Amino acid sequence: MGDFDRPTTYGLLKAHGVDRRTFVRFCSMTAAALGLPASLVPKVVEAMETKPRIPVIWLHGLECTCCSESFIRSSHPIAQDVVLNLVSLDYDDTLQAAAGAQCEAIRKKIMKEYAGKYILAVEGNAPTKDGGVYCTVGGDTFLNILKETAEGAMAVVAWGSCASNGCVQAAHPNPTGAKPVHEIIKNKPIINVPGCPPIAEVMTGVLTYVLTFDRLPDLDRLGRPKMFYAQRIHDKCYRRSFFDAGQFVEKWDDEGARKGWCLYKMGCRGPMTYNSCPTIKWNNGVSFPIGSGHGCIGCSEANFWDNGPFYQRLANVPLPGVESTPDRIGKTAAVLAGVGVAAHFGSHLVRNAVDKKPPEGPGASRDSE
Amino acid sequence: MASLIRAHDPADMERYSHRYYRRRYVWQWPIRIFHWVNALSVATLFSSGLYIASPVMAPAGEAFGNNVMGTVRMVHFSAAFIFLVSFLWRIYWFYMGNNYARSGFPMIWKGQWWSDLGRQASDYLRLGRGHIHLGHNALGGLAYTLFVIGLGWAQIFTGLALYSESNPGGRVDRLFGWILPLLGGSMSARMFHHLFAWGFVVFAILHVYIVFYDGLQYRNGLVGSMVSGEKFYKEGDLDHESWLS
Repeated sequence: MGDFDRPTTYGLLKAHGVDRRTFVRFCSMTAAALGLPASLVPKVVEAMETKPRIPVIWLHGLECTCCSESFIRSSHPIAQDVVLNLVSLDYDDTLQAAAGAQCEAIRKKIMKEYAGKYILAVEGNAPTKDGGVYCTVGGDTFLNILKETAEGAMAVVAWGSCASNGCVQAAHPNPTGAKPVHEIIKNKPIINVPGCPPIAEVMTGVLTYVLTFDRLPDLDRLGRPKMFYAQRIHDKCYRRSFFDAGQFVEKWDDEGARKGWCLYKMGCRGPMTYNSCPTIKWNNGVSFPIGSGHGCIGCSEANFWDNGPFYQRLANVPLPGVESTPDRIGKTAAVLAGVGVAAHFGSHLVRNAVDKKPPEGPGASRDSE
Repeated sequence: MASLIRAHDPADMERYSHRYYRRRYVWQWPIRIFHWVNALSVATLFSSGLYIASPVMAPAGEAFGNNVMGTVRMVHFSAAFIFLVSFLWRIYWFYMGNNYARSGFPMIWKGQWWSDLGRQASDYLRLGRGHIHLGHNALGGLAYTLFVIGLGWAQIFTGLALYSESNPGGRVDRLFGWILPLLGGSMSARMFHHLFAWGFVVFAILHVYIVFYDGLQYRNGLVGSMVSGEKFYKEGDLDHESWLS
């Protein structure tokens, strides 16, 4: 990262009256959140003290702003105050005071002055149908803005399920041809941070990692940071013991629900969803969906809107015109096979009877050949 | 009854050779083992899979005293790996076995295979009696290839992909984890795994019926052949040998 003339995070915090003890504590908590050993805390401290903050351009496409809402609620120690200072959030049309042409001028300026050095954060995705006319910002299609801004970016962070896997606007039948960022931008490193929205601490954690180590975090095969998306909800779920025991909630108000049994049969997507909800939780660690008695809906997984009803464990079979479960299709096929077999054997018996052959076995007709 | 049993008069056998059944060792022991291992493991896999998909009969007491789902999953995974080994063994025996071990392969590049396919289908539908095939007839071979080999490998791959989820970054994940996004994610992979499982039920119904029907209609000892390995035929029955090898 270039040594351009910008204040460091520590410099900025100091100017805001944060003492060093609080600052180091913040660094330790950040390191812990990133899963770093204590020995690497000095590195985090050093980075925050010496490295100029990374300029970030935050674009909003087809989205609902829930990622921003989550982000600004990061309840990391003192992060509430610093999260917007940790990075240098230079352009964010939802949060910034500037508007109109002035606002777009800032974006152009950052793109020029920090070419190849800024991070492009994308919230939402771009509709691609009809030239991208279904989402326009400042008189241009979001598709164009996205491509243009990504050109000089060091890396792209795809915030939320919209940007990383399409989410609701890309759900069937996807009338606007909405596509996640990685299907539009091919030549830049992309960090997918799925979730609807992603957990606030995950969002700040990803940015902190990039700032601290000058590189992207380890990504899995879907481009998600491994430190937050390596494991399933299911494997860290506090109700897992009830799953293994075979104790499941059958109805929302039954005995099992009161006892806090596993929500697997209520359609919980925990076994198919990779996220940190059971560990980091939401709203300053208050709870997460399963903790509140409701199954996970798998909001950080691709196609989660299309995977059948949220309260049904298995997705419906995606055959056009067939709105059915695998079980119903399987049973129908088995019954049809049985009917076919019975019809065949029945006609065999009838023909034997009609032929009035002595019942010496079905092979009797052989000699007539 | 005694009158039904004819003496084996060599001269008579020569003159009326088409009346006498001969027997031939067709299914070698590795094939028979493959068959029965599959039958048992598929039955185990399907029933344990039904429980895993929709668990019933919650045990009483605290969670720490029970491990029902854990045990059933263990059974499912064990049976699955036995099934996998059986399939690998079958690949080996496809090359090492006798001609009959290869007779089920859909030889779509051979005209004789296609005509045998049509003839066998029409024989079954017209309740007729064609030639005994010592190996697989084309229709049977096609059914086994689609239902057993095809569905089997589909289940093995989707199953391993789902199995990999319990250890992200592990060996199974590195080898088979890529299948999940290919199918549209873990959720749809489960749906396909479950849907394919029903294919085995459909297959089992058709298979058991047709084996008994064929065995009685053709008098070829088809049912017992999966135990003894021997099938019966009469002269003129071996016609599919010509396109077999």
